[in-house]
Amino acid sequence: MVYFILKRMLQSVFVMMAVAFLAFSLFRFVGDPITQMTGVETSVEDQERLREELGLNDPFIYQFLRFTGDMLKGDFGFSYRTRQPVADMIASRIPATFELGVVALMISLLVGVPAGVYTALKPRGVLTQTILMTTLVGVSIPTFVIGIMLIFIFGVQLGWLPTFGRGGTFKIGAWESSLFTIDGWRALLLPAITLGVYQLTLTMRLVRAEMMEVMRSDYIRFAMARGVPMRSLHYKHALANTMVPVITIIGLQFGGVIAFSIVTESVFQWPGMGLLFLESIRFVDIPVMGVYLVVIAFFFVLVNLIVDLLYVAIDPRLRIRDV
Amino acid sequence: MSTLKLALLGGALSMSAMGATAETFRWASTTDPQTMDPHAVNSAPVLSFLNNVYEGLVRRGKGMSIEPSLATSWEPLTGENGWRFNLRQDVTFQDGSAFTAEDVLFSYQRASDEAADVRSWFAPVSDVRVVDEFTIDFVNSAPNPLFPDSIANFMILDKGWAMANDAALPARDAENFATMNVNGTGPFTLESRDPGVRTTLSPNADWWDVVNHNITEAVFTPIGNSATGLAALLSGEIDFIQPIPLQDVAQVEGRDGFKVLEGEETRVIMFGFGHEHDALLYSSDVTDANPFTDPRVRLAAAHAIDIASINRVLFRGKIEPASQLVPEGISGFSKANSDRPAFDPERAKALLAEAGYPDGFSFGLKCPNDRYINDEALCRAAASMFAAVGLDAELSTGPVRDYWPQLRADDFDMYLLGWSPGTFDMEHPIRFLMHSQDNERKLGSWNFGNYSNARVDELLPLIQQEIDPAARQGMVDEVVKITQDEVAYIPLYTQPLIWAAKDNVDLTQRADNFFMLRWVTVN
Repeated sequence: MVYFILKRMLQSVFVMMAVAFLAFSLFRFVGDPITQMTGVETSVEDQERLREELGLNDPFIYQFLRFTGDMLKGDFGFSYRTRQPVADMIASRIPATFELGVVALMISLLVGVPAGVYTALKPRGVLTQTILMTTLVGVSIPTFVIGIMLIFIFGVQLGWLPTFGRGGTFKIGAWESSLFTIDGWRALLLPAITLGVYQLTLTMRLVRAEMMEVMRSDYIRFAMARGVPMRSLHYKHALANTMVPVITIIGLQFGGVIAFSIVTESVFQWPGMGLLFLESIRFVDIPVMGVYLVVIAFFFVLVNLIVDLLYVAIDPRLRIRDV
Repeated sequence: MSTLKLALLGGALSMSAMGATAETFRWASTTDPQTMDPHAVNSAPVLSFLNNVYEGLVRRGKGMSIEPSLATSWEPLTGENGWRFNLRQDVTFQDGSAFTAEDVLFSYQRASDEAADVRSWFAPVSDVRVVDEFTIDFVNSAPNPLFPDSIANFMILDKGWAMANDAALPARDAENFATMNVNGTGPFTLESRDPGVRTTLSPNADWWDVVNHNITEAVFTPIGNSATGLAALLSGEIDFIQPIPLQDVAQVEGRDGFKVLEGEETRVIMFGFGHEHDALLYSSDVTDANPFTDPRVRLAAAHAIDIASINRVLFRGKIEPASQLVPEGISGFSKANSDRPAFDPERAKALLAEAGYPDGFSFGLKCPNDRYINDEALCRAAASMFAAVGLDAELSTGPVRDYWPQLRADDFDMYLLGWSPGTFDMEHPIRFLMHSQDNERKLGSWNFGNYSNARVDELLPLIQQEIDPAARQGMVDEVVKITQDEVAYIPLYTQPLIWAAKDNVDLTQRADNFFMLRWVTVN
């Protein structure tokens, strides 16, 4: 097991290097950081001096090696836009994105799994058809439209919930959390729903399909014939067997939720990593973009690892094979 | 998206969340100031924001005119070129230390250092001398009547504070203390700063000037997405936002409790040409010549533009057509040359035929899509107007971060540019846009097509040095006449400023798009 984790960690370093390399080869096409850093009145001469100082005239491969070398030493550099240390900037934005992602995931699981089970067990019910129709709409509308609709209904028209930002946050050490204040939860609700809708639909449909599949299998029929109570049959036997593929997909999706919360964060001015990344693109803030992409790559690797470990925990067959 | 918003807004009439207290003023804008250091970045978001915290020797009033600030008066030096500033006494910085001429000298040294982005303001300065505690001389290398006007955004910080906190120079690579902290003399002081998220200001109780605002706390939030910003205003979570998109004006105006503030920005939008290019880069038919080197072709392009239609269709009648590179009201505006080429497609075709292109030709038109109001739509409209006279524009648009490098690399046949005169004088666009490119003397740095006219080059230093207003205006008129006759640029219009606020907020909209908290009252 330890060997397995170590192997994955080593792989992750290569994944991150590859991402950094790809990112760096693309940065040259994003634009010129110097024109974004300086005012219109700054002379061409001063711009050139700054370009030289920042090493932007160096060959691409040299810039890449310097970036990765510094990162390996734990030096994440300074933002071109704000001159802050990039590590601090990203670190201060992680809680917002992480909490948003987790709450979105929770919403999608808490609603998606029961809804999936229900629609699988009562495939012809009116409620089932309604749920399926609604979620189909939910998954077809782009995230930003859902976000703006929610903002205008609950923020502007009804005035129940804030339209932007994180509201009141509570600090636990360096971690700024929305989860401990009413204000924080009020602000979190709409973005989390927006981000979770797609996940929710996916979870529900996956659970439904798997559940229907499992319900047709021999061992369930056999259990039914043995007179196992329906409740125990549904939730203990059937659902547990449904969850293996569901966890895979949900786990992999969670990486995507964190990475691509950019749209939701932009619509709600949610001060997470995604919003920081968007601002950084606008200002061609190469150090921040580079570190962000590497961090996201690391996160994907981590999520994959956790999914693999969860497999082992849920599916006894894998435990035996691994030994 | 906008139809959806409209539909959603249509039914939304009730205002339920207008609970914000009167004294806490919340506002939003699209861009967060990059730094709190007044000398590190010469950008509008930074200078606009910091003008609430720091002050200069002079400042601009509501109508953009120069008025005393930390200097109570100033006069030309006798016997040499330059200006003497008499400083205000009994002014203290926000940390309580006294303001003296030493702070001005220090701030000058700091702002003119290589690490400062604002150092171009001090190019005419050859020496700065402290005469006594409250008198300081700025010596200029040549007569410079506009010097006091040109340093309205030169903000003074406290020498002792900067030295004690290792902030003697602006941060160029890593941050320093002044990136996140302030110590100015201005009406507001920084309470907290979370870059990109929230910045809070509170009034400076010891400010020297008469307080005209009634704010006890001001909270700034950058909101990049315009739909989110509008929702934040309409839900009552913010009191004021700058700017709002043109297409949202009707929605704000249609609701009780909100108002739209409209004004003219000083930014003139124009088309520029690749004057010194030997051949067109993006033409499918003329590849061995550059027709735009012929003034008749440039004039034909100018006659092809129907500015009235652009105004009506794209800008809801909110733009002011421009005849030259500054709008009327800016000093140096040439009243003698205030006519722009009329919309006249027949004349355009005739001019093209005369120049040897009776069937027109194709060329590449470059435009940004995130820099000016409706910039991409404008270029599409202009391209179809050009096409109507035979000028077949191959339009390519892109974000501004990618756009300036293309223009610098001469990668265009024709391009769109907006220019706001930083000094609020015609000399500014002459220096940056009309004088030939001259990196050594730092002239013509935004004259991408390198328009070059020996007489214009000759007149610029004379204009810069002329003390007599009438003689100066005569020379400016000559430059404007030459550049109009040669169609160096096609000035199109002055861009509107569109802000939105709650009805109970009174504020002043200044033509440089700066927002001053000291003029805000919440009723």
